[in-house]
Amino acid sequence: MQGYIYPNEFELRWGLLIVLYPYLTGLVAGAFILASLARVFNVKEVEPTYRLALLTALAFLIVAPLPLVAHLGHPERSYEIFLTPNRKSAMAMFGFVYAWYLMVVLLLEIWFDYRRDLVLTAREATGPRKWFYYTLTLGATDLSDRALQFDDRVGRWITIIGIPSAFLLHGYVGFIFGSVKANPWWSSVLMPVVFLFSAIVSGIALVMIIYLVATLFRSKKVDMGCADKLASFLFYAIVVDFSLEMLDFIHRLYEAEESIEILSQLIEGRLFVSLIVLQIVLGTLVPLISLGVVSPALSKRSIARIPAEVRRLIYLGCAILVQIGIFSIRWNVVIGGQLFSKSLRGLTAYKAELLGLEGLLVAGVLLVLPFLVLGVLVKILPPWPDTELPASPEA
Amino acid sequence: MPQQVTRLGIAFAVLAIVFVAVRQTLVPDTFGDAGHYRAAAVDSIEAQPLKYAGHEACTMCHRPIADKRSASNHSGVSCEVCHGPAAEHVAAPGNVRPRAPRERGFCPLCHGYNASRPSGFPQIDPVAHNPTVPCMTCHDPHAPEPPVIPGECRACHGQIASTKAVSHHAVLPCLTCHDAPEEHKATPRAVRPGKPSSRDFCGGCHAEGADSPPHIPGVDMATHGEDYLCWQCHYPHHPEAE
Repeated sequence: MQGYIYPNEFELRWGLLIVLYPYLTGLVAGAFILASLARVFNVKEVEPTYRLALLTALAFLIVAPLPLVAHLGHPERSYEIFLTPNRKSAMAMFGFVYAWYLMVVLLLEIWFDYRRDLVLTAREATGPRKWFYYTLTLGATDLSDRALQFDDRVGRWITIIGIPSAFLLHGYVGFIFGSVKANPWWSSVLMPVVFLFSAIVSGIALVMIIYLVATLFRSKKVDMGCADKLASFLFYAIVVDFSLEMLDFIHRLYEAEESIEILSQLIEGRLFVSLIVLQIVLGTLVPLISLGVVSPALSKRSIARIPAEVRRLIYLGCAILVQIGIFSIRWNVVIGGQLFSKSLRGLTAYKAELLGLEGLLVAGVLLVLPFLVLGVLVKILPPWPDTELPASPEA
Repeated sequence: MPQQVTRLGIAFAVLAIVFVAVRQTLVPDTFGDAGHYRAAAVDSIEAQPLKYAGHEACTMCHRPIADKRSASNHSGVSCEVCHGPAAEHVAAPGNVRPRAPRERGFCPLCHGYNASRPSGFPQIDPVAHNPTVPCMTCHDPHAPEPPVIPGECRACHGQIASTKAVSHHAVLPCLTCHDAPEEHKATPRAVRPGKPSSRDFCGGCHAEGADSPPHIPGVDMATHGEDYLCWQCHYPHHPEAE
């Protein structure tokens, strides 16, 4: 503790799990926006990741509310948010945003996209597996051209509805923080927009990591056209995201409200490593420059000619750095906003515990869990395109 | 109608029916009658047994102590704040005795040093202040007075004293601006110190043309700061002007 702190500000109310929650929902929204690039905006190069992005979004969406449930306690009461909705509470209405996104957007889109595969698998399989896949088709086994065209058309429309829904899902998280008017670190109309674009950045980077690593383990050849396009989009998204963050920063500096002094102390002291080093330098500038030089984002043939194998590694490194950077953004918002006193005259400190319901261990489990869920989903609904090539010995 | 639509329609209809049925079963009957809660909860809470008796019940039997307390600095602290819920004691005085906290950890709940407590509120550092001695050895909780009347203002107003010590006003004794009768030290709440109530007081040093050294900032008292008192804009314990 340093300076003057009110007694109820010593201890932070929102800890590591609340950092995790916007991080996970951001990945959901970002992965979905990536999927929409292939489906709605007809970016052919990223098609190999279309289904993977959808399944990633679903896996992370399933896990996203768990940090909240763990933080609030009493998971046995969590369903009440649906039974007795409080329409005046933005937090309570999230339950419906979540349900809408899960049921109407993601599950429906995945169902329409996979229906043909589900029917074919159900026909070929035997025993319980057959019934499992048949149940997943909901009995809709019509594979006529007309039915398949209908699937495609509806899937496209759902993606179109899904884009504003994904914006709503993660914009809402920023909205929650942005509308806390008593907190000068949070209260900003730019907050939902900044959250949204950082979500897109993190989602694209995550799908890129999963695609590159999974392809390696499956001994297949990485589609470098796809990886280059992903890297380019990652570059563009970082540019927009970083510009918005800087706009927010400059706006605060120019506005120079009475909180500016304590906020500069916060940035120079408590948040120096997580904001300046991790978020801005390692999480933004290093990937931005690397991708700008290596990927074909700025010129068709990329500024530096680098062999595909090295390029892949650089992309992977950048995507991992971006994840660290985006996690730091969530950390800086959630934890940073609680480190200074409402008196604007003191700073407190936060130290995450190892064990306990809100400790590092639980956070680690919740970070690994979506990958396990994704593993199961990939097993049930293989997302890999049929046209893949096996990895050549020299690749 | 395409087969997919009918099948999905059935699935969603089943979900909707399940949702409505669950809602009908689980939402309490009186939910929403009086707001976003179960109205019958008020009756459930009302039916709970009373645990507190209220200080009037204490006064009926313990009048001398109650009178002593109500004339003391603890006049605003109800009996059950320290002695705990006493309804059972009132019902059966001979069988249930309320607690009388004597451990050292109890009094610092209010009197341990905390920067956010009001200046002048008696606060001590429980580690350094007569370690191991129970508070009651020196202080009577029913009429708490310090055994030794503090000689210096900083004994109670340490926060202000430390702030002032590094300010431009460091050399000014507290009594330059505050008139503090001697009784204030013994009965700080009953006799309050005064503070400047006119602009001219600060003007004595800070008005243009005042008889003060040249490094002391001076202002035109007629136009500066409209009708506000000086301390409504400037913090006299740490004045910001150079």
